[in-house]
Amino acid sequence: MSAPGIVSATGVVYVVDDDASFRKAVTRMLTAAGLSVRSYASGTELLAHLSGDAPAEESGCVLADLCMPGLDGLQLQEACAEAGVALPFVFLTGHGDVPSAVSAMRHGAVDFLDKCSPQRVLLTSLERALERDTSARAARVRRGQLRQRFAALTVREREVLEHVVHGRMNKQIAAALGIHERTVKLHRNAITTKIGVRSVAELTTLTREIGLFAEPRQSCP
Amino acid sequence: MSLVTTLWSMQAAAALTLAVLYAVVWSVDRRNLASLTVCIVAVAMAVTARAEVGMMHAATVTEYGEWTRLLYLPLFFTFVGLVLFVHLFLGTGRLWLLLTIVGTRVVMLLGSFLAHPTFAWREIVGLRHVTFLGEQVALAGPIVLRAWHGLSLASNVLLIVFIADAVLQAWRQGGAEARRKALLVAAGVGLPLTLTILYAQAVLLGALELPFLATPAFLITILVLAVELSRGFLLNRQTREELEDLRSELARAGRVTALGQLASALAHELSQPLSAILRNAEAAELHLNGPSPDLDELREIVADIRKDDQRAGDVIEQMRALIKRRTLQMHPLALSEVVEDVISLVHSDALSRHVALDYVMTPGLPLVSGDRVHLSQVLLNLVINGMDAIQSCPTGNKRVVIEARPEEGRVEVAVTDSGPGVAPGVIDKVFDPFYTTKSGGLGMGLPISRTIIEAHGGRLWAEQARHGSGLTFRFTLTQAQSAVS
Repeated sequence: MSAPGIVSATGVVYVVDDDASFRKAVTRMLTAAGLSVRSYASGTELLAHLSGDAPAEESGCVLADLCMPGLDGLQLQEACAEAGVALPFVFLTGHGDVPSAVSAMRHGAVDFLDKCSPQRVLLTSLERALERDTSARAARVRRGQLRQRFAALTVREREVLEHVVHGRMNKQIAAALGIHERTVKLHRNAITTKIGVRSVAELTTLTREIGLFAEPRQSCP
Repeated sequence: MSLVTTLWSMQAAAALTLAVLYAVVWSVDRRNLASLTVCIVAVAMAVTARAEVGMMHAATVTEYGEWTRLLYLPLFFTFVGLVLFVHLFLGTGRLWLLLTIVGTRVVMLLGSFLAHPTFAWREIVGLRHVTFLGEQVALAGPIVLRAWHGLSLASNVLLIVFIADAVLQAWRQGGAEARRKALLVAAGVGLPLTLTILYAQAVLLGALELPFLATPAFLITILVLAVELSRGFLLNRQTREELEDLRSELARAGRVTALGQLASALAHELSQPLSAILRNAEAAELHLNGPSPDLDELREIVADIRKDDQRAGDVIEQMRALIKRRTLQMHPLALSEVVEDVISLVHSDALSRHVALDYVMTPGLPLVSGDRVHLSQVLLNLVINGMDAIQSCPTGNKRVVIEARPEEGRVEVAVTDSGPGVAPGVIDKVFDPFYTTKSGGLGMGLPISRTIIEAHGGRLWAEQARHGSGLTFRFTLTQAQSAVS
């Protein structure tokens, strides 16, 4: 069956709804719109699938009914977060109530839609969710690679790196570590080569990105 | 049998019939003393009729005198009874007049037992015979009066004054009902009394060559009071019909209120099929816009749309049935239908409130005789009450269970919640009108439900749940006569 793909984003939409009729209809529509869809009658089924298989390679998002027997939408979102499945959620509701919406958005839901909202709104929302997951995945992959590179540093190099990131001069570093200034320069060269950067600014950005030497967060007044 | 005997027997029979009817009315409502007085007056009138016939057929002066003396007894009860009736019926009349009349009548009654031939008459000088209603009847010849006759006259005048005064007072009070009663007393008591007294006086003075007669005029009294009694019956029936209307109005109000509480859940119940229809239509559109639409897929979509439309229609039909004003229509009914109706209505509400809603039906439950909509209303009310009662329970412990099991000749339905229950003293209060523990509650749900179940010939009550701390509401229904479902 060939239907015109009107959605540009790629990935799997996990539909979770206890109402068989709606589940079938929405699956049908999303498939016709060019998305790949997997549908589940309950949050438990989805969790079993996500934790059973190897973590999905492709990006995805969850389209869940807020109001379901067993795990409801919000509980499913929490359970996913606990299971380490960081999928973006789009919630559907027959009668949206503000507290649930607030709670859902606080837990990182992409959207909170009426079950009868127009196709365009639903598709846009899912597109955004899929894009968000795609970029989140890309970021995760990049961070993983960066961490590997940083892991290749020796203990001494890491010590030097910490001082460098904190903006200290070679002389200060040498004094602090009790080594010669020349040795500090050698370590710095080794670091930039291993990480593959040219400037201290770049190095600082990367260490921040993977959360290395994170400064204790300042509490808000 | 002579015409006089026949006619007077009929009068006596009419009076006694009325006496029995009013006696029944009084026995049902003992505080209605006015009915008792009518009963006494009517019996007295029957005895009066007998005495009158005795006088007319008297062969000797002595016999005539004895019947006349006997006449004082029923006349005492008639007059005293009428005075009390007027006083009780209208609630007006001067008490001192009343007591004076009763006093003089007692004196006359006692006197008539002591004096011969009567209290007021010294002597009857011979009997004459005249033709009355085609036969010869006895009349007293010249009558020699005693001075006591003045008391009798005074008492009669006081009687007329008392009634006229009571009627006037009632009339002045105004109000359609008071004036109607005043007219009734004037026509039914005042008029015949005055006629009788004037007639007796005319006979006594020799102006009329006729026997002493009291009963014909009192036929008016019997007629008026009979009309009053039947009017009471009719009114009673009208009141009952009005009550019935009111009850069905109230039941409808209860259903609408229950629906109001369910509004959001029902919106959800409708949005489910509607949103499925929308998605299916969108899918069909996408297929149709494609280069080679898949007709099989489109056919399936259309079939699904039709199915969901039917589903939405069913929800609306249920709501409409609940809102419509209707009287009780008893049919053989499977309780499972009622339970399913209610569960489909509250299903979404229960979900969004995290309430586990279960039902346990004994297999092969007999059909009950009942009205599906009204019973749905009762069950709906009980289930919503149950869900409200467990509002504050922890999420895992919110349970409402509907059970139905056969009893001998009946089916018992129980709705149990897992809530905190109520204090022991309060359990009976829950059925009091306007008793409520909910901020938005009217306190009419349970009283209305009880009315409905009682109209079904069943009972609805509350008790401590057998397991857990919650409440159980139980009601019974009669099994239908037809076969087991």
